[in-house]
Amino acid sequence: MSYHKISFEVKEKIAYVGFGLNNTRSMNTLDIATMTELASIVEELHTKSSDLTGVIFFSHKENCFLAGADITLIASLTTESEAADKSEQGQNIFNRIEDLPIPTIACVDGVCLGGGLELSLSCKTILASNSSKTQLGLPEVKLGIIPGFGGTYRLPRKIGLPNALDMILTGKTLRADKAKKVGLVTEVYPKENLLAMAPKFFNRKNPSHSLKESMKELATENFVTRKIIFQKVRESVLKKTNGFYQAPLKILDVMDSGMMKGRTSYLAGEAQAFGELAISEQSKNLQHIYFMSEGVKKYSGPKSTKALPVLERGAALGAGTMGGGIAWLMADAGMHPIMKDLTVEALNLGLKQSSSNFAGALKRKKISPDEFERRQRSITAQLDYSGFQKVDLLIEAVVENMDIKKKVFAEAEKNVHRDCLLTSNTSSLSVEEMSKALEFPQRFAGLHFFNPVHLMPLVEIIVHSKVDPETVEALYKWVLRVKKTPVVVKDGPGFLVNRILMPYLNEAGFLLEEGVSLKDLDQAALNFGMPMGPGRLLDEVGIDVAVKVAKVMYEGLGERAHPSKFSSKLAEKNFLGKKNAKGFYLYDEKGKVIGPNTELDDLLPKERKKMSETEIQMRLFLPMINEAAAILKDGIVQTASEVDLGLIFGIGFPPFRGGLLRYADSEGLDKILAALQNFSSTVDKERYNPSQYLIDLVENKTNFYEKAK
Amino acid sequence: MSMKDVYIVDGKRTPQAKAGLDLKDVQAPYLGAYLVKHLIDNTEIPTDMVDEVIFGNTGTPAKYPNVGRVIALEAGLHKKTSGYSVHRNCASGMEAVSQAYLKIASGRSDIIVAGGVESMSQMPLMYNKEMTDLFAKLMKAKSVTEKLSAMSSFRPNFLTPIIAIEQGLTDPFCGLNMGQTAELLARELKITREMQDTYANNSHAKAVAATKSGRFKDEILPITIGGSLNKLLVDDVGPRENSTVEGLGKMKPYFDKKSGTVTVGNSCPITDGGSALLFASEEAVKKYNLKPIAKLVDYHFHGLEPERMGMGPLLAMDGVMRRTKLSLSDFDLFELNEAFAAQILAVSIALKDKEVAARFNVDIAWGELDWSRVNVNGGGIALGHPVGSTGSRLIVSLIHELKKRKGRYGLASLCIGGGQGGAVVVENLIR
Repeated sequence: MSYHKISFEVKEKIAYVGFGLNNTRSMNTLDIATMTELASIVEELHTKSSDLTGVIFFSHKENCFLAGADITLIASLTTESEAADKSEQGQNIFNRIEDLPIPTIACVDGVCLGGGLELSLSCKTILASNSSKTQLGLPEVKLGIIPGFGGTYRLPRKIGLPNALDMILTGKTLRADKAKKVGLVTEVYPKENLLAMAPKFFNRKNPSHSLKESMKELATENFVTRKIIFQKVRESVLKKTNGFYQAPLKILDVMDSGMMKGRTSYLAGEAQAFGELAISEQSKNLQHIYFMSEGVKKYSGPKSTKALPVLERGAALGAGTMGGGIAWLMADAGMHPIMKDLTVEALNLGLKQSSSNFAGALKRKKISPDEFERRQRSITAQLDYSGFQKVDLLIEAVVENMDIKKKVFAEAEKNVHRDCLLTSNTSSLSVEEMSKALEFPQRFAGLHFFNPVHLMPLVEIIVHSKVDPETVEALYKWVLRVKKTPVVVKDGPGFLVNRILMPYLNEAGFLLEEGVSLKDLDQAALNFGMPMGPGRLLDEVGIDVAVKVAKVMYEGLGERAHPSKFSSKLAEKNFLGKKNAKGFYLYDEKGKVIGPNTELDDLLPKERKKMSETEIQMRLFLPMINEAAAILKDGIVQTASEVDLGLIFGIGFPPFRGGLLRYADSEGLDKILAALQNFSSTVDKERYNPSQYLIDLVENKTNFYEKAK
Repeated sequence: MSMKDVYIVDGKRTPQAKAGLDLKDVQAPYLGAYLVKHLIDNTEIPTDMVDEVIFGNTGTPAKYPNVGRVIALEAGLHKKTSGYSVHRNCASGMEAVSQAYLKIASGRSDIIVAGGVESMSQMPLMYNKEMTDLFAKLMKAKSVTEKLSAMSSFRPNFLTPIIAIEQGLTDPFCGLNMGQTAELLARELKITREMQDTYANNSHAKAVAATKSGRFKDEILPITIGGSLNKLLVDDVGPRENSTVEGLGKMKPYFDKKSGTVTVGNSCPITDGGSALLFASEEAVKKYNLKPIAKLVDYHFHGLEPERMGMGPLLAMDGVMRRTKLSLSDFDLFELNEAFAAQILAVSIALKDKEVAARFNVDIAWGELDWSRVNVNGGGIALGHPVGSTGSRLIVSLIHELKKRKGRYGLASLCIGGGQGGAVVVENLIR
């Protein structure tokens, strides 16, 4: 048989099996054609095995060994038995590799994930290149599934139970040196030498364990301690995920109950679990996010006709938390940014922010002390505009005041070159209005980061009537380059994310005024899967800031955005949130919550109201869905997936729900509409007045995702 | 060979801080890299059009044997940029400048950044010869007995470290410490303790006034400091506002403890700092629309007996004035390093006293120094003397102050440990 996906040749009694033959895409995946060819090659190897001294698996593709199974294939699965069947087919092929009577070696250079690592694990030896691109891992859990090709069976046997659980449950990947340390990889070589070194391992016995390793094995590889390990890990998984995620728990079940089983019966359990998880709603939601994130990587905005400006050097105007965070991002991307502010004290604040971000990376060993010094020092903190003529991308993050921002832009524009892009990190002011301050508004746009910059992936690119397509595309590609998630939005109050967030925070104020307790309120949001309740979130944002933004929304959107007075009452009392250690909650010096702020009780009604958790959740999330509908109607963004991506990456809307609108679609829009109409008559006519867009969807018997297709 | 004009586009320096204080954690290359980046960023010169980066440095950190090249890369210049380091003791920064001058004047290069850096805080302690020999023996030993025998030769005094900085400040030829050479000049030229303390006090007063009035703003570029690199240092750490002649008079002589006059108070402190200047040819000035502050007119280095190294400036100034056909009265400003009050006072005596000058083979008396034009913003005694940097730091200070005063010619000079002097003449273009 001839092969198109995999090369197969025998040289000097060594069989070479090479993935990625004729592959024009950037990654090799285990698609159906590849799996079919692999199955046939493995059978051929069995037949020829007596004439062979060994088998070497490698990849023709630079920087990719095997990136895993084809995810579109997983997404197309619809029934449990079909999914379990696919898993078994893969298991069978890999079992046949494991059963080969001759030495088998996987030479891993580049990405080796999921099915790719499971294949490597079925080989007797794994060798890896020391390339920075080499990484090994089983990230299936992130898609809400279990590694289905024997990974959960073979990994603990290779590297011990504790390490295996860590890798499988978090989905994290290891670099080559770390993989060698845990025993996943036998030896590491420069990639150019990998294939030549491999035959030396054909007849090598596994080195005998050191005393330390033997002790460790003794401690972890017996029935009692394994039970304890599983129990501990289960507790920690529940704590970390609040029990929202099925996959890690299911994986633990499979591994725990399969502990004493042989290969065949263990793998049957793994395949069955794969079947259940792969078609679960949660996994489909996580797959949905995966595809949305992949989709974002391709720019689909207004077409450019001229060459894009090159964005090599950066500058941040304003050195607050945001300015410092932006300078950090630019420094991390090698842009040697200038950070400008009006006083040395302000500059020190910005330096502190970037330093603490880099220090985090240093602590996690992502960078060396030398790199820490180099990158932090690559930020030039200064009071004047010297050197700005070299800046290609300027991001303004000064105080949220239109007049000041306009003045700053008019001044900044005189100090930069003609192709420099000028952007504003405003969270609420009109970008259209701001653009009027510029002589050349075509190179201006909003570039809205979320706080804290180093943790929040979303960046809103806000366009206006005079912006050039080249500006938008260059910014879009730059956002991707600094490993953030871009979404292009039209100008409007609160743009995309803050506009949808506004009712969430606003309703919280109304609910408190009605007598719902802060504890019930925040708990209801947490139980829905939000990373924090509205009270905690307001403290993070800053209550005075929230009041300001709410005012902008009210002015722009009218009565349905009527602000609750509660936040302004807090702001008046100088309860500003985390920044002055006193808001809805009290904070210690490190910013950790000590407890609720009891001084709030005077502002709350004496009579407490007990409201069911579901009702609180409906009160919080229905107006968000309604506002999202209004946003689509106004054309702020074009599709439901942009809304969902924005909320997941901007405010941490629970990923397992697949997004706000995907959640709404799955609940049924007729139900959502009815609930809104109900609240509109019982709570507030304006705030719950259903958007025409939503009414139309229900009338046309369609939903958010169908409509936007 | 006809020489071309050499322009000084701009020059910047770090704030200077006594060793062990605010700049102690800043490694030598980082005292220069940000200055270079700033100088280039502030022009239209692309980062791949700098021909050379030359830096003076005497401590030569073990990690950075060629600090000049490291500075070029850390400054974000193109990888193809040539970079090297030079060493002429206290005048290393001036040596870097003189090489930039020659390369541009001869037409070899068009754009060069030259300067100096010194982290005296980070100068190492070293193993002494006995310990080093023991290590060598251990390395060679093959058998256990050989190793044991080597080990048994160990004595506790092997661990007495050599202090690099102390050794560096002692002349290897005449065996005198730099302070002792100043004592010698003070004795021979009858420079009293009071003259020295008054001079030192004046240096502090001028530096404090300059800092307060923002006179250094154009020449100092704030630098990021601190263990976590999260704050800026803006001003020099050294000039003492509360300095008095009486206070200085109470300090004990340091180098000749019994009968000397040179104290820590009337000497320059050991200091960390860096400085850099951007040089360009006429072609480069036109091509990149540069606005140079000054022209570098010429330079001169000259040797003399190591035990009277403090008199170096006499010979260097004599040399450069003869080359340029300028005399003392032609200069609107002088930046003369204050290694020791006794040392700079000795130079001023020799300039006007034909008999003293003759001892150093200078056959004329150049005349009286106009002190109102010398170190107008204080000198090394108040600001400190980061050895590798001072030679270029003087020129940075000189061009900015000349520009402010709208003067024409300026002269920078300093004495050099080991028995040399160096001097540079600049002409201000913004008058």
